Amino acid sequence: MATKEKDYRHASILIVGAGPGGLAAAITAKSINKDADIVVLEKGEALGNHTISGAVLEIAPLKRMLDKAVPDWLTLEGADHIMGREVRSDAVRFLLGKKLTINISSIIKLGKKLGLPLGEMDNHGNYVVSISKLTKFLGKVALSLGVEIYPGFCVKEILYDKTERKIYGIKLVDQGLDKEGHPQSNYLKGETITADIIILSEGSDGLVTEDFVAKTGLKREINQVFSVGVKEVIRVSKERYELFGNNRVIHTLGYPLWFPIFGPDVFGGGFAYSYGDNQITIGIIAGADWKYYNFNPQKALVDFKHHPFIYQFIEGGEVIEAGVKTIPEGGYHAVPRYEQSGNGGKIIRTVGYKNVMIIGDSAGFVNMHKIKGLHNAIESGSLAGQVSVQCLNNPDKAAEVYTHMLEQNSVIDDLKPARNFRAIIAKFGSTIGFPLSTIGKYIPKLNIERDFESMTSTMFKYDTPGKFDKATFVALAGTKHREDQPSHLSILDQHYCINKCDPLFDRACITFCPAGVYEQVGDKTLPANPSNCIHCKTCQRKCPFDNIRWTVPEGGGGPRYKQM
Amino acid sequence: MSNYIVLVKQVPDVTQITGNAFDPETGTLKRGALPSVINKLDTDALAFADKMRQASPGKIVCLTMGPPMAKDILIYSLSRSADSAVLLTDKVLGGADTPATANPLAYAIRRIVKDMFHGDNNYMVIAGMQSVDGDTAQVPPQVAEELQIPCIAYATDVEFTSNKFRIKKIVTGGNQWVSPKTLPCVITVAGYDYPLFASFQRSRWARGHAVIHWSAGDIKPTLFGCDGSKTRVIKVFPPPKSSRKNKHVTHIHEFVSELVMSYKKGGFSSVFETGEADYLIPSKRADGTFNRNYEVTDKEVRLFNRVAQALSKLGITEVHQLNGPLVDRVQAILDEKVPKRMMMEMFEGYKITRPSYTGDIWVVAEHDDEKTNDVTAELLGKASNLAKLLDVRVGAVIAGRECKHMLNELVAAGADDVYIIENELLKDFRPGPYRKVIADVIKRYEPQIVLFGATPQGRVLAPMVAYRLGCGLTADCTRLDIKDNTRRGDIAILAQTRPALGGNVMATICTMNSKIQMATARPGVMRKIKSDTSRRGNIIHHSVALSESDIEFDIISTELGGGRTKLTIADVIVSGGKGLRNRDNFNKLASNLSSVLQKKLNCTVEIGASRAAVEQGFIDRIHQVGQTGTTVSPKLYIALGISGAIQHLIGIENAGIIVAINSDPQAPIFKHSDYYLIGTAEEIVPQIVEALKQ
Repeated sequence: MATKEKDYRHASILIVGAGPGGLAAAITAKSINKDADIVVLEKGEALGNHTISGAVLEIAPLKRMLDKAVPDWLTLEGADHIMGREVRSDAVRFLLGKKLTINISSIIKLGKKLGLPLGEMDNHGNYVVSISKLTKFLGKVALSLGVEIYPGFCVKEILYDKTERKIYGIKLVDQGLDKEGHPQSNYLKGETITADIIILSEGSDGLVTEDFVAKTGLKREINQVFSVGVKEVIRVSKERYELFGNNRVIHTLGYPLWFPIFGPDVFGGGFAYSYGDNQITIGIIAGADWKYYNFNPQKALVDFKHHPFIYQFIEGGEVIEAGVKTIPEGGYHAVPRYEQSGNGGKIIRTVGYKNVMIIGDSAGFVNMHKIKGLHNAIESGSLAGQVSVQCLNNPDKAAEVYTHMLEQNSVIDDLKPARNFRAIIAKFGSTIGFPLSTIGKYIPKLNIERDFESMTSTMFKYDTPGKFDKATFVALAGTKHREDQPSHLSILDQHYCINKCDPLFDRACITFCPAGVYEQVGDKTLPANPSNCIHCKTCQRKCPFDNIRWTVPEGGGGPRYKQM
Repeated sequence: MSNYIVLVKQVPDVTQITGNAFDPETGTLKRGALPSVINKLDTDALAFADKMRQASPGKIVCLTMGPPMAKDILIYSLSRSADSAVLLTDKVLGGADTPATANPLAYAIRRIVKDMFHGDNNYMVIAGMQSVDGDTAQVPPQVAEELQIPCIAYATDVEFTSNKFRIKKIVTGGNQWVSPKTLPCVITVAGYDYPLFASFQRSRWARGHAVIHWSAGDIKPTLFGCDGSKTRVIKVFPPPKSSRKNKHVTHIHEFVSELVMSYKKGGFSSVFETGEADYLIPSKRADGTFNRNYEVTDKEVRLFNRVAQALSKLGITEVHQLNGPLVDRVQAILDEKVPKRMMMEMFEGYKITRPSYTGDIWVVAEHDDEKTNDVTAELLGKASNLAKLLDVRVGAVIAGRECKHMLNELVAAGADDVYIIENELLKDFRPGPYRKVIADVIKRYEPQIVLFGATPQGRVLAPMVAYRLGCGLTADCTRLDIKDNTRRGDIAILAQTRPALGGNVMATICTMNSKIQMATARPGVMRKIKSDTSRRGNIIHHSVALSESDIEFDIISTELGGGRTKLTIADVIVSGGKGLRNRDNFNKLASNLSSVLQKKLNCTVEIGASRAAVEQGFIDRIHQVGQTGTTVSPKLYIALGISGAIQHLIGIENAGIIVAINSDPQAPIFKHSDYYLIGTAEEIVPQIVEALKQ
């Protein structure tokens, strides 16, 4: 191999994670400076495999980014999908128990007129997209510009030079180990890749991002909290699809997660979107601060699907794809920042550190009024991409310039008004929290406990009997990992599982893990089926004893989403 | 120092077939809906070559033939271990069957040797045994045949000692270590479980590395594209709906009692309808000159019927009355428009009443020196059936060191003539001398059809013989019929139906541009006739001069499993896979379950295994079930920790009831089972054993 002419272990700009944000960064950077050496690493086997979202996309940032970088993008193959399904019918329904539904869309519209945060839920003019397809499309655009994208490579850690106090690269995961961790004949030691500038765009709860936050000492003003989103794509009959309509989005509050005053009370709601080709996508998003030890969002989704209002559209349908993800919901105050003094002694707090920038869900740029983060991921990605080429001669300035740009542009403006929404509900519950949140921006910063701390011995009552078929769900997510590798999930201390979790919470991870990874073996709780993991990371956020750690498996493992 | 050429192929990823992949109207698989990937066995071949290179350094060159997008799999190979990559791409090379693929590949290999190895013949061609889309296993042996070099098939490991490679290969019932006597040679890999990982550095290097593009003009093949092909796909259709129940078991007790009941009822039926052949040559058809009820496709039958009706309305009764002006008159009567060209073809076709092929129907027998194997009798059964329709004789060819004692079996199973070739050099099965003698006897007597078993032996021998004789060959047939394709002037031809794309589609294929129609047929699918020891047949001795130089590799050692298993006649088979993790576990679980089944069902039970389990050393090769092992048809098949590679699934297709236990909810075997249980065998087998005891 003739590797001499070029050092293949170094990149000028290294982007970790090929989601829409990371690819927006790559596309923007490359379109500004076509000689920039830009490498994108992606842990999924192919682009789009690990991206999942609703998704109702606020399209402006994407259009802006693509219009600038590739003016003729609308003529490219795959662009028709993005612009193909404009929202024309948008409703918010309050499902009051199993039967009653109240259309509260008019309240939302009124809210919009009055400039209340409630109005942010209005989706007219947005587009229903599959984020997997969007990612594939952006990947093609990036490749055509000359960006280097390498799927199937998992980054295990970020490399920090303590004496220089500087991040200098990343390390890939070791591959070809057997279950016990012994090298097989095809063992490949994790390579080190150095870079001048690194953009972290791993999505929610990024492994490298958290490693970076810990190593360089970034701080969040309040704890990051998450929701767990479960989504299914259901193929229905032509008649049912026509009944639903081709440009429709429905969001729901209430059943099965919340019933005012009398409970249950889990933050969140449901959704149903037109998905084309006689497909409807249905999902539920549940705040990971649920307090019920036996709660599983998938089971809640089953109840949701059986609500007559939803059931009328999907009766007799076939689930053709399914997936789960977490959503970072802490908002503005939960963005990790590095505090330093800038020009003239002014304190600046950078979203990143020196030559490293954090974008999208990794940073926590989700607007909880809109229940959207995708537009901010693309916007922050575009900004980081622009900054990365600007700062190539002075990489250590990148995080600072980037943070300034975030503040100048829409991202921070977008996040700020919604900054207290999630915390208010976490503090006061949905019944009081929802009304209170309309004046959220006048309420001072509230800290909230981390999701794992909220577990109690209270039971959630489901209406649909029976066990959820996790095995089929995993198959519909297309998950696969090489079987004979060390488990990428670990339980730190069995003491908690055996003596605490068992009596108090009946080993909650066995219930809530959507992929059925955990099992009781003897008296232990073990990640018995790591190869089923769909990379949602709910376990490491929700284990009531903060006793589970998720790391990356060999490259290419995980779900294989096609149109999530 | 050696060099290595690895043949790779881009295939649709059949592991990602979902509901979306099928055309809702026709029920056929949309190939374009699946992502394209490198063929799994070719990744094994690449790792195999890499292992060889570690012992004997040299270049690895990857070669593929395909559309421009096949470049992706070359990048894949370069980012793992290849030094150079050649993409053979040209419109004129498209639409090729196996000989028309093997020929350009062989010409490209010649050019690689000349250009990149500077004429050094010290090289090996390494390929996956077969591709997942065609799964014919024909191309590598045919490349060897074109290059006139040895082919060592079904390799699973390699060692380098005293400056020579020793290759471990699968043979029926065991393993064999062999060493090629001369280089170059072709090696096909049946499995090597340590595929290479891409390194980041190599991936970046590969991205900037120019893949070498060659067109047909650069290599000047002699047989290529549609025109060079010897077979033609006539129709593609969805496989018969699997009768497998696909029941996800959650209650062990209910399951066990249901299982025992259905076992006693005799289990479920196989997926293949072999059907009784039904055909009359045109001259014998009672109901008139224009009866064409035996076309390959139903569509043609309907078309001919309508035209026949129209002709009868017009009072046409004789073939010689058909002419150009008549076309318009027929067209006027038909409710549906039939193009003029098509109608002229039909008219011309009507004039042909004699079969397109002449000669007998032959079966190439397979044996273990003591007796012939089951598939031989099955093929003779089928051949007898077909021969009756064509009014020709059934021939059987048997070759070996000594075979006289097996002649009666062949006659009893349906052979009218037995061609026997005995030679000391045919002692062990080696493709080199065998292909020579079999091709020779076929050439001498010119039968119209030659059938081989789709066994490890037949699947390497048949492609070489077919290539040598310039004949078409269809692999792994599950149905053989005599049909007409009148519009093309083909009368009484062999319609060869086989599954493709991992069993997700069926294709009916006919031979063209050949004197002889050849096919291999899956073991356990065709039906034997009742053995009749009173039958008498002709014995024809045929001799072919063989010399030591025809022997292409030395057999260093053969490890055959102790004795024989009765896998083919067992009532129940309990099979274990790699999921059982170790030998002790395998033995314990498999034997516990077998002994309790034996008592409960009062039946014979045998232990089987997947290839991977054998490779891991859990059990001897003699127990291996599947395409490179034994094809089985027990009343009940229980698979423990077997994921269900296509080669394994093919081997159990004819089992009555299939039960699968696997911890992976996505295990492909579940789709092919009647009952499946998700979980580890350690967990589930004891529960089943307990339930059976009650």
